[in-house]
Amino acid sequence: MMMLKDKIVARMPEVRVEEGASLLTLVTPPEQYRALALFLRDDEEARFDFMVCMTGMDWGDSLGVVLLLESTALGHRVYVQTGTPERDEPLLPTVSDLWETANLNEREVYDFFGIRFAGHPDTRRLFLRNDWVGHPLRKDYNADGLVNPVRLESDETPDDTRSFLSGGGEETRSLFDDEEYVVNIGPQHPATHGVLRFRVALEGEIVKKVDVHCGYIHRGIEKMCESLTYPQMLPLADRLDYLAAHQHRHALCLCVEEALQVEVPERAMYIRTIMDELNRLSSHLLFWSTLCMDLGALTAFFYGFRDREKVLDIMEETTGGRLIQHYNVIGGVTADIHPNFTRRIKEFIKYLPPMLKEYNEVFTGNVIAQQRMMGVGVLSQEDAISYGVTGPSGRASGWACDVRKRRPYGVYDKVDFKEIVHAEGDSFHRYLVRVEEIVESLHILEQLVDNIPPGEFAVKTKPVIKLPEGRYFKSVEGSRGEFGVYIESRGEKTPYRLKFRSTSFPLVSVVPLLARGSKIADLIAIGGTLDYIVPDVDR
Amino acid sequence: MFDFSVITQWIDQLLRGVMPDAAATVVECVIIGLCLLLGYSVIALALIYVERKVCAWFQCRLGPNRVGPFGVLQSVADMIKMLIKEIIEIKHVDKFLFGLAPYIVIVASVAAFACLPFAKGLQVLDFNVGIFFLIAVSSIGIVGILLAGWASNNKYSLIGAMRSGAQMISYELSIGLSILTMVVLSGTLQISELVEGQADGWLLFKGHVPALIAFVIYLVAGTAETNRGPFDLPEADSELTAGYHTEYSGMHFGFFYLAEYLNLFIVAGVATTLFLGGWMPLHVPGWEGFNQVMDYIPSIFWFFGKVGVMIFVIMWFKWTFPRLRIDQLLRLEWKYLLPINLLNLLLMVIVVVYELHF
Amino acid sequence: MNKVIRYLVNFARGLRSLLVGMRATLRVFFRKKTTECYPENRKTLTMFDRFRGELVMLHDDQNHHKCTACGICEMNCPNSTIRITSEMVTDEAGKKKKVLTEYRYDHGSCLFCQLCVRTCAQQALGFLPTFEHAVFTRGKLIHKLNREGSSLAPKPVAAESPTA
Repeated sequence: MMMLKDKIVARMPEVRVEEGASLLTLVTPPEQYRALALFLRDDEEARFDFMVCMTGMDWGDSLGVVLLLESTALGHRVYVQTGTPERDEPLLPTVSDLWETANLNEREVYDFFGIRFAGHPDTRRLFLRNDWVGHPLRKDYNADGLVNPVRLESDETPDDTRSFLSGGGEETRSLFDDEEYVVNIGPQHPATHGVLRFRVALEGEIVKKVDVHCGYIHRGIEKMCESLTYPQMLPLADRLDYLAAHQHRHALCLCVEEALQVEVPERAMYIRTIMDELNRLSSHLLFWSTLCMDLGALTAFFYGFRDREKVLDIMEETTGGRLIQHYNVIGGVTADIHPNFTRRIKEFIKYLPPMLKEYNEVFTGNVIAQQRMMGVGVLSQEDAISYGVTGPSGRASGWACDVRKRRPYGVYDKVDFKEIVHAEGDSFHRYLVRVEEIVESLHILEQLVDNIPPGEFAVKTKPVIKLPEGRYFKSVEGSRGEFGVYIESRGEKTPYRLKFRSTSFPLVSVVPLLARGSKIADLIAIGGTLDYIVPDVDR
Repeated sequence: MFDFSVITQWIDQLLRGVMPDAAATVVECVIIGLCLLLGYSVIALALIYVERKVCAWFQCRLGPNRVGPFGVLQSVADMIKMLIKEIIEIKHVDKFLFGLAPYIVIVASVAAFACLPFAKGLQVLDFNVGIFFLIAVSSIGIVGILLAGWASNNKYSLIGAMRSGAQMISYELSIGLSILTMVVLSGTLQISELVEGQADGWLLFKGHVPALIAFVIYLVAGTAETNRGPFDLPEADSELTAGYHTEYSGMHFGFFYLAEYLNLFIVAGVATTLFLGGWMPLHVPGWEGFNQVMDYIPSIFWFFGKVGVMIFVIMWFKWTFPRLRIDQLLRLEWKYLLPINLLNLLLMVIVVVYELHF
Repeated sequence: MNKVIRYLVNFARGLRSLLVGMRATLRVFFRKKTTECYPENRKTLTMFDRFRGELVMLHDDQNHHKCTACGICEMNCPNSTIRITSEMVTDEAGKKKKVLTEYRYDHGSCLFCQLCVRTCAQQALGFLPTFEHAVFTRGKLIHKLNREGSSLAPKPVAAESPTA
């Protein structure tokens, strides 16, 4: 890493290198931004092929972005920061052609900060209405209700998009031809699992283009967090991906704890890890059920829900919540485990395997199910990395991206488990990875449940939590990928900027790629096996 | 065995005694029509209840259990709800065709329903090309579905209707060929003769291997004909919300719903008639005592019992399997069922010519 | 010939997988059902004791609560669910004291995040595991948590004497 730093300094003297608590930050003027990005992606010693997170920023004197890049081969990470003082028509070069995941992320930044990206092919708002006034995450945003009243007329969906040119000016292009048969799938549709909308251009049964529209459940959680104290924002993290509530809250707690340098008691770490795995079990069981339903096997849906209920019962008895547990707090967990906790988990570990066998009989082995999923929506490893598709979907494409293995947290370094990786990358293997992960989760639980050490379940924290100045990023392996929390603090009791690296956002961004050329029914299978959760996309 | 023609003839003579022949015929037609419609709706209600119960049991649920004992009145309550619901007028639809479509569907299935031999002497339409007539009228329903999809002016509906068209035309082939196979064996197209011919043994047993193959193909194709899972692509709810009947409401939707269940009954009824001896009791050659006991069970119970078993099997399919994709559906028909069916027909001809059947 | 064999093997394998699936569902058909008949089993249905149904102010049998109207719960609530109104009262000793008059809790906007309960220094609050909260208007979800005529519990030393 040090060699790389010297190389960059020698190559690009304009780039300023700041050494943070954990990672380097490369601050670059916008003119050098693209060159630096290209260098970081392609250089032999850098090889930053995975953009973990792109955060739009308003520093007051300038608007810009902070990228968190990672090299999948070398494992190192770096921040790249750039900004422009221009506020009326800020223009930065795009990197959407270098990392595909930047495509939707730059649209998000445009939506929230008004930063235009020169060369970005599709500059439209992503989450907010087209007639929204202002860019809400800017610090000078006028939040008066009169500026953006609740509008009762529906928002027109334009067929045109524009892209800004680096030399200034813009050009418009049409998204769909007049002859194309455009069908709306969503926002109200049984197979989108929430309010996500695809505009699909069809030729007979064949999908030609997919245009993703998000924002139907955008709640502005990142904006809300800027005015909440750290303990107050914890319940909002639960509400991002409601099927991985515990894991998401875990990430936020870890990030704050790291910044505060709080030592979490070992007992709490064990409990958190067990809860994470229970959460993963419930999430994967729900995935299994809803996928079966999407593919028309309604009976299987009920089997999955029947068994998921048992996991929820275990969690509820200890945490008091079923879907959204509110269990992690900064410094530990809210309450000690219930006396029945270990007994119930052991019963469940015995209960599930015969049921899994039944699942396989009803669905996995079924010839129709296999035909529906095999070879459908093949995602190559390069695309998975470029789009930032982590989690089971990324692992089905041969990318060993499990955060539990790469950057262990909790007590994952003390347990023995297998990282399920398949190389095929089609829908069937995305499905298979999750089914096999259910077994692995049981295996992890088996190792942990008898070994919870005695001790405190939480440490006392100060009544007012102020994070020291700096930028912090911490990620966990959520049920459907790497969930990260990026906090930029100025030493106050509220964060200056907080960004959640959504797990489902990259999954949605990859749908247009996977669905192109397949059938409508395949689009449903692809969506089902990617297993995105819409509140996590929209935040 | 009790012959229902005793009753029908008694009514006939009674009517002819009090009025001229022409009037008696008209009155009889009206009575028969009413009886058919009544039977049609009662069977549909019963089937809806049964389906919901069976589906629930497969899914480790209890199913309807609130309205009446064990929820038996659930489908009656549903019917009342459906009847009093508003039929919503939709802009941009072709009003005439939109209104016509459900009636075509229902008329086609009533006409097919009338061909079924419910019991000894209890059959409305019986003539020398009965089974041919049945295939013909049951295919009219597809016109209604296509119209519904087209007239709705809705993209989902149109896709559903087109899928339905492709599916029905393909599977009609298999149904026709498997029925043809059995006609070759029995040597008649008249439904009553088909049933009478099975007095000494059901065609499924008489025709052994080719009959069994034809039976399985008929079941698969019949399930596809009725648009039921795993072949419910025209209304694939996770893809097309409700396919061709997305825009229908109130009783217009109710007609599609009724017709769907009645088509299920008709498919099961035809399977019973062709393969399982219709209303003929189960006879085992040589077991005289057993055969006599079987004869005591009225023929109507035999018919409905066999149909019930067939319906259960078809429901079992639906509540076990995931849905096929349109190209897989067509591949199954054209690459597997059709060639097997053609070979099977040849096999059956050989069996009949060399008298290899029982 | 190989192709024909593969065709047949695939066909047989597919058919077998379908039959295996049908066997599995048929087994469930005859198994005990898992549905709970809800209003009928009301008597036996209990939630886990940690379940958070609604926020309550704990009262003892003399209608005393422990709330000193300090307002820390109100301050901590991320969703402004709690509104405390208090008045200044001078007691016999001439000391000015804050006394709770109304503790309003909007059940409809509560996140059940437990921050109020966890931050309360007096442990005056708690959650009940009740769950039948459906009402017809949102206004009915706003509860007054301090009971009619209730008052702050006297200091433990004083509280013991009347009961003893």
